[in-house]
Amino acid sequence: MTLSFRWPRTLASQLLLIFLVSLLCANALSFSAQFYERYISARSVMLGTLENDVSTSIAILDRLPAAERASWLPRIDRQNYRYLLNAGEPGEPMGSDDVPMAVKSIEDALGEQYALTFRDLPGLQKHFQAHLTLADGKPVTIDVRPAPIPLSYWLPVVLVLQLAVLLACTWIAVRIAIRPLTRLARAVETLDPNAHPTPLDETGPTEVAHAAAAFNEMQKRIAEYLKERMQILAAISHDLQTPITRMKLRAEFMDDSMDKEKLWSDLGEMEHLVREGVAYARSVHGSTEASCRVDLDAFLDSLVFDYQDMNKQVSLTGKSAVILDTRPHALRRVLVNLVDNALKFAGTAQLQVGSTARGELSIKVLDRGPGIAEDELVQVMQPFYRVESSRNRGTGGTGLGLAIAQQLAVAIGGSLTLSNREGGGLCAEIRVGLG
Amino acid sequence: MDHVDHILIVDDDREIRELVGNYLKKNGLRTTVVADGRQMRSFLESTPVDLIVLDIMMPGDDGLQLCRELRVGKHKATPILMLTARSDETDRIIGLEMGADDYLVKPFAARELLARINAVLRRTRMLPPNLVVTESGRLIRFGRWRLDTTARHLLDEDDTLVALSGAEYRLLRVFLDHPQRVLSRDQLLNLTQGRDADLFDRSIDLLVSRLRQRLLDDAREPAYIKTVRSEGYVFSLAVEILGDQA
Repeated sequence: MTLSFRWPRTLASQLLLIFLVSLLCANALSFSAQFYERYISARSVMLGTLENDVSTSIAILDRLPAAERASWLPRIDRQNYRYLLNAGEPGEPMGSDDVPMAVKSIEDALGEQYALTFRDLPGLQKHFQAHLTLADGKPVTIDVRPAPIPLSYWLPVVLVLQLAVLLACTWIAVRIAIRPLTRLARAVETLDPNAHPTPLDETGPTEVAHAAAAFNEMQKRIAEYLKERMQILAAISHDLQTPITRMKLRAEFMDDSMDKEKLWSDLGEMEHLVREGVAYARSVHGSTEASCRVDLDAFLDSLVFDYQDMNKQVSLTGKSAVILDTRPHALRRVLVNLVDNALKFAGTAQLQVGSTARGELSIKVLDRGPGIAEDELVQVMQPFYRVESSRNRGTGGTGLGLAIAQQLAVAIGGSLTLSNREGGGLCAEIRVGLG
Repeated sequence: MDHVDHILIVDDDREIRELVGNYLKKNGLRTTVVADGRQMRSFLESTPVDLIVLDIMMPGDDGLQLCRELRVGKHKATPILMLTARSDETDRIIGLEMGADDYLVKPFAARELLARINAVLRRTRMLPPNLVVTESGRLIRFGRWRLDTTARHLLDEDDTLVALSGAEYRLLRVFLDHPQRVLSRDQLLNLTQGRDADLFDRSIDLLVSRLRQRLLDDAREPAYIKTVRSEGYVFSLAVEILGDQA
């Protein structure tokens, strides 16, 4: 098994990693430098003290009568070294390469007056002894047990605290750096050029404000571009109306013949395309119609009656008893387009009103026509897209009806989805949130 | 009938106005074509006409302006049929608000125009309305309802919109234009047939019952539309035209 380091994918974790590692290194370096410096000074102080202390203690022992020496021992014993009034243990001769610093200090303190021998005492707790002989011929042993320089008990706590502060600060810094970026990404994601642009907040650090301003500028440009495109479409469609009117009028003076029939139907098609083109351009433009409260049942009833009055087989099932806040013309246009579509492909249409599991209002337009291939269900709502089977002239169509319906459904704050029905036929469902 | 209806056509497109003129002439109407508002005014100075076909989109004075002007002048009783190039609702609404009697969206078929002209003429001759809805009064109030005559829907006391089908609206308009007057089924049928004449074939009784439902009117004890045995129906409530309000 090999443990390979994987560079993290998110910018947040990358930044976090870089900050954390570099700050940790810097901290560790300064901590060890300080620690080392403190160690050196503490040691030199200790050794200096040792030198003075040992020479004083040995001088005291030397002056005291042999009988009194033992009673003084507790007063001159120290934590790291003590004095024994005997020849000590034989131990081992001291290696030349591993001589403790204390040996040198003791030598400096006593070497001139006394003959010293140092012996290592290996064992669980390694220590050494210095043997010497006092002026009256009695042996004395200095037993030195080197102890590590003591660390204060609070040092690890401080270290952990420091680490925690470091971690928290890094995290905050990374969050601050990343948040505008996520905000921008979300804005780009939800950017819908057809809806009214929602400008980003242009406050914050300079770079962030700059990016937000650039984004807003881009949003504006996209909207302008789309608007221009739609204006061109509307203008072309509009200007075609006059020549088509002339041609239709002229055609009516022609004698009845196959040619007149054909010309008439071609003109009808052109007229339809022009009207839909204008309607599509307007639907994308965003509706200027004001919202109002609409009695939905009466609204759907009247729509269905209008069709029935034209001898079209359109029916309505379900009652909603809903007063809907919406743009009535836009909603009507959506429904008319869907019903017309159903009538064109199936000859009949059924409206079904109800509510979804999520509490939205649902209006379905159902037919028993040929339906649409599953992989075309989404594409078919794009402008000028036509399913393969409808490209022949018989079912013609402009390819704009569903696009208009979809645009307007979004404009009134709803959605339009198409699906194939069990048992054949198409289901077009409009969903609008209530309240 | 010796009287031949005289139609004045105002359109800036020479070909269209001449084609329309010729078509109407071929179908037994007298026609005059003019290119703009100036010519229209000078022609009307000398010759009254039975109906004016007015194009909305014209350079200089556009159709809407001319329509408004006609409605306040001495020709205010002359029916006007508007031609509009735009099919969206605002144009239609504005056109009817300015006092046009009907409108037709370009491109149109000449025979459709002819049918509309005849329908408008028949409607205005048969029974001139008691009330004239004008630009400043597009809301008609009756009972608990208000009818918006431009958007063609009802509003209740809470400003909730109650939609009407085309046939329902036309029938209600006939009733509101002739309140407290007994209207026979034949009269109602003729008056509601305005446009879509050939498409509408429902019996008046069914339409009345639908309208009562829409108005939440109890069919056994109707407050709005009362049945007059063997004669027809009467709209029994007072009708009031409101000034333009938001």
